[in-house]
Amino acid sequence: MRGAIVASMALGTTEKAELLGHSELFEGAPPTALERLAERAGEQSFADGEYLVRQGQAGTGLWVIVSGGARVVRGSEELSRLGPGQFLGELAVIDQQPRLASVVAAGPTVALGLASWDLFAEVEKDPELAAAMLRGLAHRLRQVIGEAHH
Amino acid sequence: MADSDELIDELAKLALFADLDEPQLRAVAHIFEEAWYAADTRLLRQGIGGSGFYVILEGEVAVVIDGEERARLTRGDYFGEVAILLGERPVADVVAQGPLRVLHLAGQDLHSFLLTYPRVTYRVLVEQTRRLRNANRWRR
Repeated sequence: MRGAIVASMALGTTEKAELLGHSELFEGAPPTALERLAERAGEQSFADGEYLVRQGQAGTGLWVIVSGGARVVRGSEELSRLGPGQFLGELAVIDQQPRLASVVAAGPTVALGLASWDLFAEVEKDPELAAAMLRGLAHRLRQVIGEAHH
Repeated sequence: MADSDELIDELAKLALFADLDEPQLRAVAHIFEEAWYAADTRLLRQGIGGSGFYVILEGEVAVVIDGEERARLTRGDYFGEVAILLGERPVADVVAQGPLRVLHLAGQDLHSFLLTYPRVTYRVLVEQTRRLRNANRWRR
């Protein structure tokens, strides 16, 4: 039955592009670049308690929750909860640092994943995408520095 | 203009340019200006200006925000790109801590440079991610 549910929820490229476009990482990215990323992104379903990400493992992609939800946990402590439209791994997809927390499905969950190598392939082909991501990160960096000082 | 073979060898050793082949390194050496600064020179001034993208070849700079030193940058490190990318004023003073040798690229040339060398752009992207992580950690 689970397969049937996923099939009925399968997202088109346009919907995937829209979901990914909500990441600050891709703010200002050309729509065509988002479409190409969307084509490379894949949906995956997780059963309750299944890991999307394990603490200590190198980050190899980003996820956006499509339906269901997830718990962000470090050891036995729950740090936060993620719901539909929320992202995880936005920095790890770029620098592939070990994850500082695990993310576990809370109930049946579907997430859209984009692998680091797919992102890198698109960035290499489309420097405008890279430039847009760079501006996005620069903006976030400024915000963080600003918050720390005011 | 600085495009001697020694400079190209030097550039090849910097992480920022590690993915470039020799003709590309030669082009980079041609695009950037080599520049020297005396100790205590402020290359960027917080809230005021000074524009450009700088890559350190020799020496060290201090990154100072509101009079407080926040970081030291050394050979292979770079700075100035955030203000250029955002079209805003620098949020920090960047001050030479002794004689300094850098590569300099004028602000208006950075965008086309990044578009021409996506692998360099990706390196900058990874570095900015690292800085963002550190800034988040620092804030806590």
